[in-house]
Amino acid sequence: MQQLPFDTVLIANRGEIAARIIKTLRKLGLRSAIAYHEIDARTPAVSMADLAIQITGSTPIASYLDTGQIIAAADQARAGALHPGYGLLSENAEFARAVTDAGIAFIGPLPDTIELMGDKIRARNFVQSNGFPVAICVTEEDDPATFASRAQAMGAPLLVKPSAGGGGKGMRIVRDLNTLEAAIEQARSEAGRYFGDARLYAERYLEYPRHIEVQVLGDCLGNLVHLFERECSVQRRFQKIIEEAPSPALSQEVRARICDTAIRIARAANYRNAGTVEFIVSGDDFYFLEMNTRLQVEHPVTEMITGLDLVAEQIYAAAGRELAFSQSDIVSNGHAIELRLYAEAPERGYVPTTGKVLLLEYPNDVRIDSGIMQGQHITPAFDPMLAKIIVHSPSRMESALRAHRAVRELVLLGCETNADLLARIVSDEAFLGGHFHVGYLEQNPHLAAGNFAAGMSAFLASAALLTRPVRDSADAVPELHSALGNWRN
Amino acid sequence: MYHSFEVDGVDHTLWLSASRHGYRLHLRDEVIAPVAFTQRSESSGILTIAGQSEPVRFVIEGELIHLHIRGTTRTLRYIDPLRSHAAGNNGACPLVARAPMPGMVVAIAVSPGDSVSAGTALMMIESMKLETIIRSPQDGIVERIHVKENENFEHDAALVTLSKEGF
Repeated sequence: MQQLPFDTVLIANRGEIAARIIKTLRKLGLRSAIAYHEIDARTPAVSMADLAIQITGSTPIASYLDTGQIIAAADQARAGALHPGYGLLSENAEFARAVTDAGIAFIGPLPDTIELMGDKIRARNFVQSNGFPVAICVTEEDDPATFASRAQAMGAPLLVKPSAGGGGKGMRIVRDLNTLEAAIEQARSEAGRYFGDARLYAERYLEYPRHIEVQVLGDCLGNLVHLFERECSVQRRFQKIIEEAPSPALSQEVRARICDTAIRIARAANYRNAGTVEFIVSGDDFYFLEMNTRLQVEHPVTEMITGLDLVAEQIYAAAGRELAFSQSDIVSNGHAIELRLYAEAPERGYVPTTGKVLLLEYPNDVRIDSGIMQGQHITPAFDPMLAKIIVHSPSRMESALRAHRAVRELVLLGCETNADLLARIVSDEAFLGGHFHVGYLEQNPHLAAGNFAAGMSAFLASAALLTRPVRDSADAVPELHSALGNWRN
Repeated sequence: MYHSFEVDGVDHTLWLSASRHGYRLHLRDEVIAPVAFTQRSESSGILTIAGQSEPVRFVIEGELIHLHIRGTTRTLRYIDPLRSHAAGNNGACPLVARAPMPGMVVAIAVSPGDSVSAGTALMMIESMKLETIIRSPQDGIVERIHVKENENFEHDAALVTLSKEGF
């Protein structure tokens, strides 16, 4: 195969995704370089990279958002390409442009495509004008003075969302229209701080739809394929925690329609590289939600069912190669589930948790995309996702069983995680039956609450036996010991 | 002698007594025997409880005992009987507004010396995605602010110390 036009790739990201990208770079015989903040010095990606270049900033996040320092790091590493991962600068068109202008291949779509699809309002207008279904909404920018009253006119429940960004940040549900003004203020403040862009829009909030997305992949010659859908309805606070492929909810007919719609939207946007078209699905109806112009957190489930390495495909596309397969070559095999391990306590309203990873043991026979290692401090500086557990089996039921076993085998001591919740979900009847929607966890609070008393005696016994003063006070009563011993005889 | 372990904010009182094969575990309303723990490595062992063997992973960090048993992880805190007597709540102590969760300071609304009422906004914090306002739990005077804007803090960290007004 023809050699790639670059031999070094700079990763402008951190955590599990940076480590996952490095694995593919190694497989392809490419050098990996990473720009990292000091707080991440003891993370897997920084220790795995062939070259690690420290960057600084007023906060750790600020350093990962510093275009100048990142491009300087790419120059220092003599990187011919840059992978932005997800989050951070991955959907920032200005950044993609600056990278390209510096003569470095940006591993993602064209900057103009990011500009078009990365802005939710613009993307939505674009998709609608091309004749695809979108949800009813009102945008602030059309007439800021009447935004609140136009939103109010749609009726409750409403969802107020920032135009920029993603990951559920800044989104507010309004069920009581009296709280609309306050929700707009808060969403505006959060959007301004997270994305430097405070523009908002509001849409009718459907309480119980599914969230299903389609992976697309394109080369620079205009060839586009889809890699089927991912079911992402198990969410808390608009953030996905379990994803799977295929979706248990789609008939073959709807699957074909939704995948075809995704391809046509991507084609209209002149899409290159890997991207995801997100839909809200209610019954057999679906409408466009947004497009993510980057690799998704949950891309591994697609890799498992298609056998493709999406990061490798992204690199080939950025290198100008033609797609090596056509739509009919792509076959979906078996069923894959991904569980996201978060540093948070579902039992206490999902508050984020912190701590030092004192012991870390991963299960053996499943794919783990991990961003942490033993000895590392989990801080509140970043997103709380620690690792992903990915399983692949012939059927959905087998996959769920395997996921359940794997998450229970995983040992992480020193920082509370959502592992118990994940285990409860993948063994829950509604989940196993495929009957869930984005409101599933909210409607089933027992899943987050857990069973506090279950198995407590084994924990108390272990703690008692491992605590010196407790054992000592038992050992200090030898008479009782011998008396009872004799009595037994 | 009774001992206490705290799990998720709940105290569990127990004691061990020696028995012929290991120990008896006396809980509030049951006695389990025999119980024994065989350590296998620095962080693993086998718990024998009521005739069953359970592999245990553990790390002891001061008074905290982190345990993984049967797929579930819990952290138990040993409550030292001497220390818990000494730490009785003293009503004259200044009041401290603590962090309900780990996060970052977005903005501070008060300065030392300000007098505040119960419910006055002291600062805005942000945790992952959500902004939360920390309010004064009582009337008083801001004595000290323990954090700066943009600073990260852990769960339960002291944010603002208040003193009672005029007394």
